[in-house]
Amino acid sequence: MRPLEDIRRFFALLADEIYYVGQYLRRRRSVLPGEIVHQLYAMGYRSFPIIGLITFLIGITISLTSAAQLKMFGADIYLADLIGIAMINELVPLMAGIMLAGKIGASITAEIAAMKVTEELDALKTMGIVPEKFLMVPRLVAITLVVPLLVALADFVGIIGGVLVARFSLGTPVPVFVREVLAAVTLRDFLIGLGKTMVFGWAVVIAAGYKGFFMDRGPEGVGKATTESVVLSIALIIGLDCVFAFVLY
Amino acid sequence: MEIINVRDLDVGYGGTVVLRGMNFSIAQGRITAIIGASGSGKSTLLKTMIGLLPPLAGEIRLAGERIEFDSERCLGRLFRRIGVLYQNSALLGALTLYENVALPIRMHHPERPRSEERAAVRTMLDRVGLRDCEDKYPFELSGGMRKRAALARAMILKPELIFCDEPSAGLDPITSAGLDELLLELRTGHGVTFIVVTHELRSIARIADRVLVLRDGRIYHEGDCADILRSDDPYLREFFLRKTDHDH
Repeated sequence: MRPLEDIRRFFALLADEIYYVGQYLRRRRSVLPGEIVHQLYAMGYRSFPIIGLITFLIGITISLTSAAQLKMFGADIYLADLIGIAMINELVPLMAGIMLAGKIGASITAEIAAMKVTEELDALKTMGIVPEKFLMVPRLVAITLVVPLLVALADFVGIIGGVLVARFSLGTPVPVFVREVLAAVTLRDFLIGLGKTMVFGWAVVIAAGYKGFFMDRGPEGVGKATTESVVLSIALIIGLDCVFAFVLY
Repeated sequence: MEIINVRDLDVGYGGTVVLRGMNFSIAQGRITAIIGASGSGKSTLLKTMIGLLPPLAGEIRLAGERIEFDSERCLGRLFRRIGVLYQNSALLGALTLYENVALPIRMHHPERPRSEERAAVRTMLDRVGLRDCEDKYPFELSGGMRKRAALARAMILKPELIFCDEPSAGLDPITSAGLDELLLELRTGHGVTFIVVTHELRSIARIADRVLVLRDGRIYHEGDCADILRSDDPYLREFFLRKTDHDH
């Protein structure tokens, strides 16, 4: 059965990657020097602007939508609580995960799939290099380092969106809004958001690698694998988010 | 002395058997060409010999040691003893020429000092005539230069045996002849054994000490180039001489 075989291969790759990352952390071999920095640049620096913009816009949109309802009940100030908790717990992890799938996941799959077409993966194997380690470990380490920064940035700009709406739509002073957010949001909320985004980031990288390594041969397979990688990543993110919701609330 | 021994080898994909009952050996320090029409199983045989495709039955021995396809350790030993020149060169596009050639050293001998690595890579790039291109990326090089760079990478750890998959594919006749001369020089000057999968007849005539002809997944003929040129076999005449008896 093909779906069962796909699931087996996905979890086999996941298990291999956990082993390879552990091995790398112990021995620091089998990865090109400088590759992690290169990946940090590709994943972090180049993703910050788009993830910042998206979360800022989501912050504004949610604030505008909620402000109208809250105003009707005279509960304007609770916009700060709503935005703080919703952004940090749910919207930032979800949106960051989806953006990572579209930007980083797609690029990882396209790169690995293209390497398969041009026999670069075979070349690595016959040089005695394990492609699943050589290509994936730097990406997994990089995503682990990048996610906390991404989350902090996205939380901040998302709440800024709320601040602007509160100030100009409801007339709430900025210090009052900020004080309310800080009172409503706990460290636990931030850590939950961070943890969720981290798991989503790993899921994106593993799904992207899986679709790249197991693509069908041929140049047309690269496009197909890239699309499938984004779809799989988003499905995994939403599925995992649902699991988190059951476990945490 | 034989460096490769293939015994009763069957290879296939899924349920399809592509190669059946292959028996041959490859002599050390010589260039052996494997030729055959498209679909004859050349690439499949190559993939099995370089450890990428496990056989369905039979065995391959490299210098007497049986290749165990289910043992990572054994495959690791195989990969350290061979070099492969791929049809598309298969240089890593994200790395410069220098980094591509240095890659096997960095991965297998990370303790080696950078000065030693630099000397080895530059010697190898000199040998293939690419010393001035070490900072270029593969996409900045011509097809012939990429092939030579890939050969330098295949040779950097001084393997006993180098497999070449269609080395002349996509090259103009002059560049192709230059690459052939390089293979001959490496065989004669450094005793490297080459197994070349190709269907470039001019190239075979120039470099091959011995030719294995595949047909429908079996070894149809083996011998030296002169044998084949003298052969009366209609298939060999048609394939190798590109003429049939009725041309006469």
